Amino acid sequence: MRFSIYRFNPEQDSAPYMQHYDIALQPEDRMLLDALVRIKAADDSLTFRRSCREGVCGSDAMNINGRNGLACVTRIVELKEPVELRPLPSFPVIRDLVVDMTQFFKQYHSIRPYLINDEAAPQKERLQSPEDREKLDGLYECILCACCTSQCPSSWWNPDRFVGPAGLLQAYRFIIDSRDRATQERLEDLNDPYRLFRCRSIMNCTEVCPRGLSPSRAIEKIRLMMVKHSL
Amino acid sequence: MWPNNRESQPVFFNLLRIEFPVGAITSIGHRVSGVVLALGTPVLIYLLDASLRSAQDYEWVRALLNTAPVKGLVLLTIWAFAHHFFAGIRHLLMDIDVGSSLPAARLSAWLVNIAGVGVALLGGGMLL
Repeated sequence: MRFSIYRFNPEQDSAPYMQHYDIALQPEDRMLLDALVRIKAADDSLTFRRSCREGVCGSDAMNINGRNGLACVTRIVELKEPVELRPLPSFPVIRDLVVDMTQFFKQYHSIRPYLINDEAAPQKERLQSPEDREKLDGLYECILCACCTSQCPSSWWNPDRFVGPAGLLQAYRFIIDSRDRATQERLEDLNDPYRLFRCRSIMNCTEVCPRGLSPSRAIEKIRLMMVKHSL
Repeated sequence: MWPNNRESQPVFFNLLRIEFPVGAITSIGHRVSGVVLALGTPVLIYLLDASLRSAQDYEWVRALLNTAPVKGLVLLTIWAFAHHFFAGIRHLLMDIDVGSSLPAARLSAWLVNIAGVGVALLGGGMLL
């Protein structure tokens, strides 16, 4: 199978380039990550992140034939040849397919991704009804792989000011949590032309989310909550 | 762009190599049509005003509208108006949580794209 992979080694290369590989795959190679591991066996200078190899850790996010996705859950048979692999768009490249995610996590931390509740803690735990717990479905599953944020045009142009789809999905996950007491503060923090309202509902985020989540829906729900709270 | 302390860090950002789903195409069309309308509306108002000034000016505007480049521009403006209008309605509906699931949004994006071109062709056929 033919691959064309983005290569850049800061210690050797002045500019990135595409390197072609022709690799004989084995019957057990089902996912793109299997192919990458095989390529790495032939060329150990190829660098990429990976860990769980089953779509849970989010390490091997990359641009696959123009579309962001996780190599470990992308089926080889569904890929058009030559398979073009590039690092996540708009993120600074550290080496080959490894990108610098500092800005991404800075935005994630800015939404305070933890429960805020100053009430006295109960003896055991803060309980939640099954109905309230259900509201977190489709939100808590985010693995912060950055596929969405890196495919979002609003994040491309304003990565430092727009929280981005991943951060906003997480923001809604805490806004809607019945155990959280900072709903108003969270909504006020996001009520900004850039932090939330830079989203143009293009929905690239939802298109590429490897977990099938819908950050665009979460963003809309935050907007609707803002309207309700302001009335 | 992303804060970059190391000048040596490249960024992959080739728009020709990044896939744009149908919603993104609709969004780009929305923006482009907005620019076309912002630039084209004053011209249209001027032409309308000129056509109402006198019979001679009316003939001048008519002759102008019969030239190929201006016909193209009129067609472009009709498309811009139609696309901007439909895309705007789509956004308003999505803002009240109508059609914001991915399949519905994909479908409405296709409809907006097709309707914009369709209205341009229909309007163009009638006007030109």
